[in-house]
Amino acid sequence: MQLLRVHRTFPKLKKVITRRYSQALQLEENEYTDAPVYPPIIDTSLEARKLRIRQTLHKKIQEINTVEEKQIALNMPRFYGWQSIVLNDNKVPFNAMPLVQHYTRTHFQSIDKLPEIYAKSSPIADTIVQEIKSCIEECIATENEGVERNIVTSLDKPEKQQISDAHTKNIVKQINRIILNNLTDKVSHILSSQVDYDPRHEAFWFIGSVDLPWDVRKWRKKQKWYKGRLDQPLDRPVQYIGSPILTIRNHLPLKPIIDHSEAENPDFKVPKFSHIPESVGYFSEFRHGTNIPGFWPGDFDEFGLMSFHGRGHILDRSESFGPEDNLEALHCQAIKASFGWLLAQASYQGFTTFNDLTYPLVTQTVLTDGHLVSFYAYQLNTIVMHNDEVDSNPKHNVCFGTKPLELYETIENGKVKGLNEDVLKMLVQFYLNAPEERDHAMKPYLGKEEQIIADIEDDNRRCWLESRYKHLVANRPKHFLLPELYDWEKIYKIKFNTRFFEARRRPFEFDINPFKRRLDDHLPPYIPKVLRPYPKSRKKFETTYYPNV
Amino acid sequence: MSTRWYPLYQRGNPQLRVFLPNFWMKLVQPCANQQPNLVQFHCSMEMTKHDIKNYLEKIYNVPVIDVKTRIALGKFRKDIGKGYVVKDDDIKFAYVTLPKTMKFEFPDIFEKKKGDTEDDMKSLDEAKKSFKSFIQRNKDRPDIPSWFSI
Repeated sequence: MQLLRVHRTFPKLKKVITRRYSQALQLEENEYTDAPVYPPIIDTSLEARKLRIRQTLHKKIQEINTVEEKQIALNMPRFYGWQSIVLNDNKVPFNAMPLVQHYTRTHFQSIDKLPEIYAKSSPIADTIVQEIKSCIEECIATENEGVERNIVTSLDKPEKQQISDAHTKNIVKQINRIILNNLTDKVSHILSSQVDYDPRHEAFWFIGSVDLPWDVRKWRKKQKWYKGRLDQPLDRPVQYIGSPILTIRNHLPLKPIIDHSEAENPDFKVPKFSHIPESVGYFSEFRHGTNIPGFWPGDFDEFGLMSFHGRGHILDRSESFGPEDNLEALHCQAIKASFGWLLAQASYQGFTTFNDLTYPLVTQTVLTDGHLVSFYAYQLNTIVMHNDEVDSNPKHNVCFGTKPLELYETIENGKVKGLNEDVLKMLVQFYLNAPEERDHAMKPYLGKEEQIIADIEDDNRRCWLESRYKHLVANRPKHFLLPELYDWEKIYKIKFNTRFFEARRRPFEFDINPFKRRLDDHLPPYIPKVLRPYPKSRKKFETTYYPNV
Repeated sequence: MSTRWYPLYQRGNPQLRVFLPNFWMKLVQPCANQQPNLVQFHCSMEMTKHDIKNYLEKIYNVPVIDVKTRIALGKFRKDIGKGYVVKDDDIKFAYVTLPKTMKFEFPDIFEKKKGDTEDDMKSLDEAKKSFKSFIQRNKDRPDIPSWFSI
C-alpha cells in the first residue's frame, strides 16, 4: 500500500509489467492445429438468447442430484409462489374435457373391454370372482342398509357430495380388504404392496401454447421493449391437487399398456385448447409448485398400482349440464387424477416438467360411488409441455376408459340383487395386473450416490434442505405477507400522482416488484455473537443451501 | 321480475301492475380470448344468476347452461375541468355458457363496407360545394344569418 502512495505513476507501471508477464504465459499455452478451429457461430437475436438461457436452466435442473433439490429449483424464481392454474380432482366445470386433455397432453380412448394386456389374467380372475362374490354382496348390503354411520360434514363442500364420498369410502375399504385378503397367497405382488387411505396427491407442471392472460397483454402494450413481440407465448404453471379414497403402491412399476415407441403414433390426437382457463371455470392462485404422490421421497414403494376416487361431485353439478357432460366430467376427473399421480411419481424418479421421461409409467384408476364403477388405465409417456417443446414433442399420454358400469342392480330386503360379475372381474383384473422389474435405468437424472437429501453426508446441508423442502411444500402462508398495496395508494399515488411532494417510502415507489422476488432473496437467520465460533468469527448469518439455478 | 315493489293486492279493478322492470342486459365484446360458447354481458346490479338465466331463457329463448357473475370495480378518472378524482359506477358482468354445439361471435357493429369511403368523400365534396355557393351568394350582405333568406 505504501508503495502505491509513493508516486502516482506506479500503478501504471505495475499494469505494464503484469501485462507483459501474462502474455508470455499465454504464448506457451497456445496450441496450434493444422486446420483452423473456430468457435461455434451462435444466433445472437433476442429470442435465441432467451432460449439459450432457458435451456441452460433446464440443463442445470437436470444435473441436480437429489429429488428434493430439483423441486426447490423449480420454485426458485418465485418467492411468493407461482400463479398456477389449480386443477382439483373433485371439481369439473362444464365442457372441461378439451382443456384437461390439452393441459395433460392426453389422448382419451373410450373402451368397453379392458386393453389387451389384461387378457392373460382373465381365467384366474373368473375363479377369484366366484370365491369373493358372496363376501362382496354381503359387504355392499351391510354398508348400505346394515349400518348407520355418523357422517360429519363441513361447510366448505356441498353436503350431498361429502355424504356420497364418505359412503363410497366405507364400501371401497371393505371391497379392497376382501380382494386383498383373497389375493395375498395367490399373487406375490399384493403382499409386498402398500395401501394408503386419503393420501395427498399434488403435481406441478408448465403448459405452453396457451393464450396470454388479458392483463399480461395489457401490461406488455405499455412496455417499450415488448414492441413487436406482444403476443409472445408464456408458460403457465399448473397445479393438480387431489385426494383419492385409497391407493395401492409397490416398489416395482406396472408394465406399459402400449409400447413406448407407440407413444409417438400420430393417431393419438390431442385437441389444442388455447382459450384462457377462466373461461372454462379453472382459476389460479399463488402457491409453490409441489409434486407429492402420497409419500415422501425415499419411500421404498414408489410406483402406484391403482387408486380409487369418489364421484360425489357429479351430484353437485347443475342439471342443465346434462348426462353427456357428466360422463365427460368423469373422464376429466380420471385423466387429471391419473396424470397428477404419475407426474408426482415421475418427479420422485428425477424427472421434472423440463426433463422428459425416458420410459412410460402406468397407473389404474377406478371412479366409483359404491354402485357405479368406471375403470381407467393411463399410460404416461411425456411430461414436457412447456412452450419450447409443446409443438415439437411428438409423444402423447394415453388414457383408456370405460363408461360407468353398474356393480349391482338393486338392494332389496338387505340383499344385493343382480351383482354384475363382469364389473367385479374387471376390478379383480386391475388387482391382478402384476408390476415388473424394468431392464433400463429408472433414475437417469439423479446422482449415483445422492438421490434424495437423506443421502447427503453433510449434516448442516442435509438438515437445512430437509426443513426447507418440507416448509416449501407445506404451502403455509408466509410469516411476512406480501407488501400490501392500499386502495388509497393505488388511486392517489399510482393512478394519479397527486402526492408528489411526499417522501418515497413504499416498495412500489422504488420500482420493487414483489412478484419478481426470488426464493433465495432473503436474509438467512442471524447468528448471535455468543453462538459464533471461538475465538473470532465474522460470519453473521447462517449458510443457505439453495440449489444453484 | 324486478326490484320495483309490486303493489299489495287489493280487491277490485283496476289492478296496479308493473310494466317496466328495471332489469337490463347489455351484450359486450369480450376482451380476452374466450371459448366460442361463452357470451359476456353487462347487467343490472340487482340481477342474480337465476334472474339472468330466466331473462335469457324466457324472453329471448336462449338455451343457458351456466351463468357466472362478477362485479368489476368502476374506473377512476380525473374530472375534466375540475381536476379531482372521480370513480365510475361498478359494473356487474355476466358470463353465460351456451351448449357446446353453439357458437357466438360478437358482430362487427361498425363494419366498413367497400363503397363506404367513396360515399363519405362524395358527400363531403357536396357539402364543400354547397358551402362555397352559399358564400358566393351572400358575399354582398355580411352579418346576416344563414336562415334569413328566401
